Amino acid sequence: MTEAPALELRGLTKTYRLREGGALRPTHTALHAVRDVSLTLPRNAILGLVGESGSGKTTTGMIALRLTEPTAGQIIVGGTDITHLGHGALKPFRRRMQVVFQDSYSALDPMFTLAQIVAEPLHIHGLGSPREQTQQALDWLERVGLHRSYGGRYPHELSGGQRQRVAIARALILRPDVLVADEPTSALDVSVKAQIINLLQDLQAEMGLSILFISHDLSVVRSLTDRVAVMFNGRVVEEAPTEAIFTDARHPYTRALLDAIPALHPRDRRVRTFASRDALEAATPRMAARDLGLAPSDVARLVDLGQGHRVEALLTS
Amino acid sequence: MTVTSATPTPTPTPTYRQRGPLWFAWRRFVANKGAVVAGAVLAVIMVMAIIAPFITKAGPNAQDFLTDSLAAPSATYWFGVDDLGRDFFTRIIYGARVSLTIGFAAATFSVLIGIPLGALAGYYEGWVDWVIMRVIEIFSVVPPLLAAMLLGALTRGGFLTIVVISALFGWVQVCLLVRAQIKAFKEKEFVRAAQALGASPGYVIRRHLIPNSISPIIVGFVLAIPLAMMLEASLSFLGIGVPPPTPSWGQMINTGMSFMYFYWHMAVFPTAALAITVLATTLFGDGLRDALDPTMKGR
Amino acid sequence: MTVFILRRLLSIMVTFFIVSVLIFVMMHAIKGGPFDAGDMPMPPAVRDRIMAKYGLDQPIYVQYLKYMWGVLRLDFGVPFQSPGETVLELIGRAWVPSLVLGGLGVLIGAPLGILLGMAAALRRNTWVDYLASAVATLGLTIPVFVTSMLLILVFAVWLAWLPASGWGEPKKWILPIIAYATIPMATYARYTRSAMLDTLNKPFVTVLRAKGLSERRILFQHVLRNSSIPMVTVFLPMFIGTATGSIFVEAMFRVPGLGAYFVSSIRTRDYPLEMALMLMLTVMFCLAYLLSDILYAWLNPRIRVGGRKG
Repeated sequence: MTEAPALELRGLTKTYRLREGGALRPTHTALHAVRDVSLTLPRNAILGLVGESGSGKTTTGMIALRLTEPTAGQIIVGGTDITHLGHGALKPFRRRMQVVFQDSYSALDPMFTLAQIVAEPLHIHGLGSPREQTQQALDWLERVGLHRSYGGRYPHELSGGQRQRVAIARALILRPDVLVADEPTSALDVSVKAQIINLLQDLQAEMGLSILFISHDLSVVRSLTDRVAVMFNGRVVEEAPTEAIFTDARHPYTRALLDAIPALHPRDRRVRTFASRDALEAATPRMAARDLGLAPSDVARLVDLGQGHRVEALLTS
Repeated sequence: MTVTSATPTPTPTPTYRQRGPLWFAWRRFVANKGAVVAGAVLAVIMVMAIIAPFITKAGPNAQDFLTDSLAAPSATYWFGVDDLGRDFFTRIIYGARVSLTIGFAAATFSVLIGIPLGALAGYYEGWVDWVIMRVIEIFSVVPPLLAAMLLGALTRGGFLTIVVISALFGWVQVCLLVRAQIKAFKEKEFVRAAQALGASPGYVIRRHLIPNSISPIIVGFVLAIPLAMMLEASLSFLGIGVPPPTPSWGQMINTGMSFMYFYWHMAVFPTAALAITVLATTLFGDGLRDALDPTMKGR
Repeated sequence: MTVFILRRLLSIMVTFFIVSVLIFVMMHAIKGGPFDAGDMPMPPAVRDRIMAKYGLDQPIYVQYLKYMWGVLRLDFGVPFQSPGETVLELIGRAWVPSLVLGGLGVLIGAPLGILLGMAAALRRNTWVDYLASAVATLGLTIPVFVTSMLLILVFAVWLAWLPASGWGEPKKWILPIIAYATIPMATYARYTRSAMLDTLNKPFVTVLRAKGLSERRILFQHVLRNSSIPMVTVFLPMFIGTATGSIFVEAMFRVPGLGAYFVSSIRTRDYPLEMALMLMLTVMFCLAYLLSDILYAWLNPRIRVGGRKG
């Protein structure tokens, strides 16, 4: 008997309509930032969401938090559909989902002290007296590795890694079920990256947190996550347990991504690149529908290969 | 996953506090000699206006020196005597009160109107922004002086009216500044983080966006003062501003023009007083602006 | 581009419409009825007939529409203070001094300002720069009537070189023109200086120097052109503002221009004249802003050619 997953995204789509030029007959183009993306984030697990810039991974994260509204699809938190809830009804759910951003500098209000920043979630949800809120905030500062006395300082006095710790403290003080981490380490130096990753791992284990870890850095993803979903051009093209992705990638795009990781040994280079995006599209694997017991389809869809491994493929008859 | 030790070692406390943006702003301001001098002059004028009763012989409307009417400046009468037997120095100092009060009051109202409108326009964008920009356009297209004159004629002058009229033409600048700042900050992650926490738009604007707009607000306030003073002086010059006998530099300039050829002090002193005060306020405001946000220069 | 123009035109028209209504309403708020009680008490029947004759008994929106209809046919009525001519004729007469003095003021002040700004930018941080900047700041912050006053005091009273008032002969024009020229000069000095400093610091100028172009050529062919866009667009509203006559300059120098008539029309409650002047000025400013917006969009290659958003 499995309980409801912490977060479930079903058929999320986000389309931007762009108007271009022309006087009286403007052309409208549609930008499909996210196309029919479905993901499941179980409790107490870390799901990595990878892809290049523009693949839609950040947008997906923002939609999951309802910071951006989806054009279609559903967002289900702990079994409840929150897609269309109004501001008031949504508020209690906001406590259960939090976010850490890539840019730690603009993620913290420069006019707030660290204690105020970390205590703000408590303040917004009216939990505890101001003194208690401050105490909790300071406790959390310690928990993320900063000395209590930092409470009175301002963001500009900290380094990038320290600011990210503060952001994590702010995100977790409400004890959410889900944390969306949008490239939290991309702006940090390598040594600091490791510290933040360790911190996230420790906190995740302690709190049983579910993390949606969005990143383009595959080596980080490999060490941190349980499952990985690969996005390309707004769609999920492959999804599997982490090791399976790295050792047994089935989609050519995933393989291209992996090949792009700088190898440790110069002679270890496997070069396989795609000349253009169309070539990539054209390389969608084709599988015989009959073998899998499914109906043929012109449109590429996610096919379950067993053991939690799904690949986008065209089912030929 | 491996279970690691309990709490990681806290980073040691550094030994000094780093310098904040306010410190840098102060340094920039101090480096601007013109602004510093202007600030000092402004302070002197303000102090003199406040302690006016203590440094003058009689009230500004006291016609105590009729026998010495139109006397030129001398040791007894520092700025001379005006045509109605009033000590001119006193009149000028009390005129400072009028100008400064109107200037500050109007600037305050401008800010009170400009901040909410700018915040709404900047945060909500869309049609709210469009409507507010149209309103701003209406106020920009009508020459402020002419409209002020019309309004002044409508309401027959009076202190409060002048303040309101000046505020009506000063809020546009503040509104535009706040709007630009809020638009710039709206996309910052700390705003999104607050939204992710479930904060309402009102909370976000109040606690995050407006405090971060303090520098444009201050600059807008300080620069609205000379505008208001000028408007008041202009209206008084034309006879529809502050009514006599309350001393107003604009009005005194007008009177002074009739006496200018033979009694130069009647024209020179109010002119100089107005010019110096407006100049000082403007330079001070410019200095503040350059110090608080060097990227705003030239706007 | 056409969409842009049409949209701006539409919004300007909306603005103008709203402003005209506001002005009309405000003026009628002062009115209070020219034929009420007062000097000659009239039997109500006679009064009603007179009101009907002037259309004053109509509801205000009807009066407004009638007035605007007249405006479209350029019929602004007859001024109270000078019933021998129409408002239009009076404005035509009164505009000449304002146009001459104000126009010359701008046409002289602007180029002077540009030169001053250029000198300041090229000799940055030397006494030339400080002097030019000081002059520019003073010109902008000191109110124009104060400047006029100073000019009169120095040149007419103290030195007695030039006459202080009147409109007749060119000698009388000199001081007012100087007074008018201060604001354009100061504005352009500032703009030019900062725009040129910005451009001179750009990498492409260094490249041009490295290519071996002469300093003069770089200056006139490249730097000036790049800095000129904002200066061109600010010209039109400034010209309109000045050429319609500053109330103060005209009051101080006793010039019978538009500004002077505006003041007198308010003082004497000369509604037809007042209304016409306000409307005219508003229209001209609306047009000026519209044209300079269009000009700016056209001149700025970034907007004209368009570009994909990054």
